[in-house]
Amino acid sequence: MPIIINLDVVMARRKIGAGELAEKVGITPANLSILKNNKAKAVRFSTLAALCRALDCQPADLLEYVPGGDDEKEDGE
Amino acid sequence: MWSEKNSLALSRLAVLLFTAAVAVCDVCGWWLVNWFLRTSRYAGINDAAHLVWGLVTLYVASAAAYVLLWNLYRLLANIEDEQVFVPANVHCLRAASWCCMAVALLCLGGAVFYLPMVMVAAAAAFMGLIVRIIKNVFQRAIGMKAELDLTI
Repeated sequence: MPIIINLDVVMARRKIGAGELAEKVGITPANLSILKNNKAKAVRFSTLAALCRALDCQPADLLEYVPGGDDEKEDGE
Repeated sequence: MWSEKNSLALSRLAVLLFTAAVAVCDVCGWWLVNWFLRTSRYAGINDAAHLVWGLVTLYVASAAAYVLLWNLYRLLANIEDEQVFVPANVHCLRAASWCCMAVALLCLGGAVFYLPMVMVAAAAAFMGLIVRIIKNVFQRAIGMKAELDLTI
């Protein structure tokens, strides 16, 4: 997946744990883990907004585009 | 009051009733085939070849029916356990589809002895096709569910 979620980095900067962040955002720790490990297929805007609110950051701080990887496969689909 | 739970229970009851009907046909197979050959105005000569054909068709078809009914029962049990779009259900539907096709082929072969079996073969093949398409729908739904499950 060419979109990387840099959740670990921002969480470390804000010194917030996974359980606390999951509770603030309103998702389960399991779903937060899916996000952290870049296993998610999609993120809702509401979740992204909640993450930005909880971590006091911008979406660009969390999301990074890395070209290559599964890019060509997804274009062909 | 009618509910989804009642609907599932009714479906399971129907599967059990069908299974019982197939079992009764198996037990009474000999008499059923003999009666059919004696009374049907389309049947040919009531001889040993027709009797064997009738019995083979009945028992092979009933074996396929048991497999089909068992898979339908498993499918309903999974749905009751909230396991709807799972690969196990795709296997059940695939097996059910192949059972229908097997019966269709069997009946098509039986048309040599009794031409109206072609209609039974067509009906069985059509049912197999419908079940196969439902299997395709389930397969696609599994993919969509996996994507949805990974949408946070």
